[in-house]
Amino acid sequence: MPAGRPGPVAPSARRLPPLPLVLLLCVLGAPRGGSGAHTAVISPQDPTLLIGSSLQATCSVHGDPPGATAEGLYWTLNGRRLPPELSHLLNTSTLALALANLNGSRQQSGDNLVCHARDGSILAGSCLYVGLPPEKPFNISCWSRNMKDLTCRWTPGAHGETFLHTNYSLKYKLRWYGQDNTCEEYHTVGPHSCHIPKDLALFTPYEIWVEATNRLGSARSDVLTLDVLDVVTTDPPPDVHVSRVGGLEDQLSVRWVSPPALKDFLFQAKYQIRYRVEDSVDWKVVDDVSNQTSCRLAGLKPGTVYFVQVRCNPFGIYGSKKAGIWSEWSHPTAASTPRSERPGPGGGACEPRGGEPSSGPVRRELKQFLGWLKKHAYCSNLSFRLYDQWRAWMQKSHKTRNQDEGILPSGRRGAARGPAR
Amino acid sequence: MSQREGNLEDDAQADTPISLLPHLEAKIRQTHSLAHLLSKYAEQLLEEYVQHQGDPFGLPGFSPPRLPVAGLSAPAAGHTGLSLPERLRLDAAALEALPALLDVVRRRQAELNPRAPRLLRCLEDAALQARALGAALDTVLAALGAAAPGPRPPPPAAAAAANSAAGVFSAKVLGLHVCSLYGEWVSRTEGDLGQLVPGGPA
Repeated sequence: MPAGRPGPVAPSARRLPPLPLVLLLCVLGAPRGGSGAHTAVISPQDPTLLIGSSLQATCSVHGDPPGATAEGLYWTLNGRRLPPELSHLLNTSTLALALANLNGSRQQSGDNLVCHARDGSILAGSCLYVGLPPEKPFNISCWSRNMKDLTCRWTPGAHGETFLHTNYSLKYKLRWYGQDNTCEEYHTVGPHSCHIPKDLALFTPYEIWVEATNRLGSARSDVLTLDVLDVVTTDPPPDVHVSRVGGLEDQLSVRWVSPPALKDFLFQAKYQIRYRVEDSVDWKVVDDVSNQTSCRLAGLKPGTVYFVQVRCNPFGIYGSKKAGIWSEWSHPTAASTPRSERPGPGGGACEPRGGEPSSGPVRRELKQFLGWLKKHAYCSNLSFRLYDQWRAWMQKSHKTRNQDEGILPSGRRGAARGPAR
Repeated sequence: MSQREGNLEDDAQADTPISLLPHLEAKIRQTHSLAHLLSKYAEQLLEEYVQHQGDPFGLPGFSPPRLPVAGLSAPAAGHTGLSLPERLRLDAAALEALPALLDVVRRRQAELNPRAPRLLRCLEDAALQARALGAALDTVLAALGAAAPGPRPPPPAAAAAANSAAGVFSAKVLGLHVCSLYGEWVSRTEGDLGQLVPGGPA
């Protein structure tokens, strides 16, 4: 969890580091001359600056070893030597630096401004924090899973690019009473999100806002007011089963169970179904599935595998008038529609190639014709079997090509399939 | 090898029941392997650390002043000239001091680089690893009868705050030293234990 810095920090203000680190450093003792230890001090230490601003800094050499002067000293910033014309000697022991129009810090731990001796050894360092104050976070959205918790997401102002570590804190309180609370579980659904796991009141509005803070200032979002009951979502419906409807080749039956966590409250729940053909990425959505737990899909292609998903919107829970929030889609469930009747021996079952008449309407018409013939003519030997044999004979010339292409168009044998799990 | 070193294993064999010798051998090998593994992790830690401090950290030739760290120094130049038991005791003492130092660095880095979870995890892991290696080494020393007499002095505890605050650059440099020391002592431990591993260099 990121530790945020408090509000605006004056350029020369410094925070005491944690106690043990202070101890580590306080026993270092005085820098030892001649050992390469720090023998200079940079001022200011760790300043915070706005992008585009200027900085005047000094490197003052201690008198150890005796006679040490600032002559020959030079500066680097993030490892790059700064042009000598940016520096000048203030006095025999102090080298000054003037930087203008500063760019945003290259790393969040601060830009490394270092004072070097003539031989390149490091005498002292200071970290610059150059950036922008945060802008107002916006676009807060929240949802509650089964009325048990609340998760909120927001967009940082100015796309979040401040060049400084910016801490975001989600705050909330009951609208008419209560104290401010701070969300503690961050980054649960993305970098700008927070999760409140428990102890939420229902039937009373909350005020929710986000505070952004960095070294250069803070900003607060607009307040979002909501009742947890108006932003409820739930789990995807479990136990989704898809099965054939008898021999109907263009239909599948979909059944599911209400999400158990809210099953006693979903009187007005809405459901949505989406389905797609196995090899397609295009989903078709059935939108008008109101408070039912089953649905029949029609107008499907015969002999085709379909993937089906269902989701739930706990609309109207506890009398809420708001639109509700859709759950995630259930895991895909697959099933296939029955294939058209197979041709006779010698042929595989193929869906008609392009240019051939569709078997569906043709077969229906043929059936009607054969029925009429049997009634009105002496063609008792005519039957679907004869028709199928004729089709197989017609398709013999295509048999080799089908085999070369491997899987038959339906990809399956003619046996009926049970519902997919 | 000094006569004293040569006696280390003889003493162990003389004092240790025959049935435990294979176990001791196994323990020494195991600890040596652990030290070898942690040497690699220490290199990764150092790389991860310098990456998040920004240049010049990590640049070739970057050589900040080598400031002493409370309670821990680098292996002395004469370390290899000491007796093996003494070297192992120094290794163990260093490994005992390292976890607290690594934790200090981790907490400081949590403020400086809060969005560097991998670095913070590496520092946390390093503290745990140092503790584990130290404990394993203590076991070996005890089994060899080479543990230091009496309890080891505890690492320096937190005392009253100093009157000066450390700047961020100094904190970065200090963290670099601690990570380097971790690597140096783990590597030193691996080398010293290597002399105990049966079949290892004398």
